[in-house]
Amino acid sequence: MRLLLVEDDIMVASGIKLGLTDAGYAVDWVGSGERAEEVLQHETFDVAVVDIGLPGMDGLELTRRLRRPEVASHDMPVLILTARDALHDRVQGLDLGADDYMVKPFELPELLARLRALLRRSQAATTAVLTFGPLELDTANRRVGIRREGDATLLPIELGPREWTVLEYLLIHAPKPASKDKLLQALTGWDKEITPNAVEVYVSRLRGKLEPHGVGLRSIRGFGYRLELQQA
Amino acid sequence: MALQRPRLRAMTSDLRNRLLLLLVLPLCVLALLGVWMDYRSADEAAARHDQRLLRLLPALADSVLAPGADEGDLPVWLLAPPVEDFLRHNPGFTGFSVRDVSGRLLLGDDWVHGAVPATQEPEFHSVEVGGVTYRVAVQRGRTGAGEMVVALADGSDPRQQWAQHLLLRVLLPNLVLVAAAALAIHWAVGRAFKPLVDLAAAVERRSPRDLSAIDEAASPAEVRPLVHSLNRLFSLVNAQAESQRRFVADAAHQLRTPLAGLQAQVEAWALLARSGVKTVENSQNSIQKQPQRQDGKAAAAITLGASEIEKLRDATRRTSQLAHQLLALSRADARSLDAQAMQRVDIKDLCENLLEMYLDAATGKGIDLGLDAQPVHVSGHGWLLRELLSNLVDNAIKYTPAGGSVTIRCGARPGPQGVASAFLQVEDDGPGVPPVERARVLQRFYRVPGTEGEGTGLGLPIADEIARAHGATLLLDTGASGRGLRVTLVFSA
Repeated sequence: MRLLLVEDDIMVASGIKLGLTDAGYAVDWVGSGERAEEVLQHETFDVAVVDIGLPGMDGLELTRRLRRPEVASHDMPVLILTARDALHDRVQGLDLGADDYMVKPFELPELLARLRALLRRSQAATTAVLTFGPLELDTANRRVGIRREGDATLLPIELGPREWTVLEYLLIHAPKPASKDKLLQALTGWDKEITPNAVEVYVSRLRGKLEPHGVGLRSIRGFGYRLELQQA
Repeated sequence: MALQRPRLRAMTSDLRNRLLLLLVLPLCVLALLGVWMDYRSADEAAARHDQRLLRLLPALADSVLAPGADEGDLPVWLLAPPVEDFLRHNPGFTGFSVRDVSGRLLLGDDWVHGAVPATQEPEFHSVEVGGVTYRVAVQRGRTGAGEMVVALADGSDPRQQWAQHLLLRVLLPNLVLVAAAALAIHWAVGRAFKPLVDLAAAVERRSPRDLSAIDEAASPAEVRPLVHSLNRLFSLVNAQAESQRRFVADAAHQLRTPLAGLQAQVEAWALLARSGVKTVENSQNSIQKQPQRQDGKAAAAITLGASEIEKLRDATRRTSQLAHQLLALSRADARSLDAQAMQRVDIKDLCENLLEMYLDAATGKGIDLGLDAQPVHVSGHGWLLRELLSNLVDNAIKYTPAGGSVTIRCGARPGPQGVASAFLQVEDDGPGVPPVERARVLQRFYRVPGTEGEGTGLGLPIADEIARAHGATLLLDTGASGRGLRVTLVFSA
């Protein structure tokens, strides 16, 4: 994954770069919005992390500009970093086309989790295949299965249409949990009158099919479910 | 606040009493003086009356012309014209008697009597007959029939009338006057102090943090100088508080930039150290702070173990959190909030949001984080309520041991007046807070003695501050299972 980091503070930038590189990202770091714009003319990235408080062109302006259609990576997810946490800035950032924000100082694991979620969402929008650990769901061909590491063939799993809907919703939102209400809403396309119990039924069926492959469906008390990888 | 109103009442009633005393006392003295003067003039009139009776007594004595023909017969008498005049003039209120020296009635009315005087000097006394008080003059004197005792009674005596009518004619009007004056003072003081009382009420009604100026033009002229001084004081206090608040905000804000750098660095080392532990079988369990160079400068590198780095990271996280909380605290200040309008906040949505946010932290600690949320909305500042809930959940996860559970609840419950009020609650089954410590944990930087974990001592104070900014109350009690801490935010309906 190629990641563009736009940050003028050397301490912050080198820390982020170190952490993200370790997590497997190819990080390109620039110190100003102008420089970032220049780089974006020739190269494409999968995701960008942009600080708002930049010298010269600020992060909000940069975000607005890189959303222009002529920019090759105009549809990449952008996460903005800000030391200003006033509500106004947050709303403005998201209005200008940023996908998520984090307030400085932040914890690296959280940044990593948010980047994963952003990439998953953009991936879901652009490609037809959703993955979670060994689990693969191909929305174009309506196939779902398990792909072991280094294995070329997909071990298929048979799913009913409602189970499919539940799993697709969970996959799109993983690693965030999905609320029972939302799952219920996703299912109402199938049945006019569906009870919350139905969600439990499909989830328990999915569990039976996924758990043997190390993918768990954890219940979040009072809320819903979340896809989790089970420790072997 | 609650103390001020009675104090003000006490002040006005005190003033009222003083004015009453100061004004009513002289009025009473004046009334008494009036009574005395009245008495004096009545006394003079009475003296004149006595003189008249005295002048008439010889004429009465002269009316007895000669002794009766026989012993035991009435003497021969003819009323002298002045006496006859006197008796005719006030019929029913006058009387006379002529007695011999032994006191036997010879002529006139039996009721006009008195002790037989020992000397020739006239004597006066009062006697009451048939409800009328008579002034009686008695004199022993020579008459045509020898020595007799003559007496004249006059019921039109002003002194007697004065005594009778004293209450009605003199004292009562005076008392009415004094009472009227007291009422007038009572009313006038209340009336005169109304602007002051109104001003006090207006100052009282304000929130304790509202230090905006009182409208001087709308204040009555009498209290305008006071309002002016108050406004001056308000602006001074305001400026001071504002500069202090801004200082805290600036300091916290400025702290965050270097802290962000420090934290990013240390976080990265911690990640690296951990992944190094997993992948490389490095027995040192460590990374090097500076990349080892080939040219022999490696000697400058220091080696840190993963656990040291994690301690460093935790300290950095805690410092960052402190800076963040200080900033939140200064923002929760009602003075900076007044400028922002309240919005409709979906509390259930907020709870779900926070659950998602803290799910990983809870899972990491082996804590079951759950939700029990009913749809409810309140009017408030969304980001502040988020800050509040985040502090409560963070605390709960921090202090609950592995295997415990934390529940975020929201909904509406019937209030004291039967009106449903929204509530927000975080309950854990950790060690809880002993009842004696509950008030203290709301104080800034206070930490329960013997508490483990990395707290800043600001979480609950911030929650409390935010609660107050929303006119809500923060309640601390024991969890439903008899263990742990349950923090409830009850919004006023």
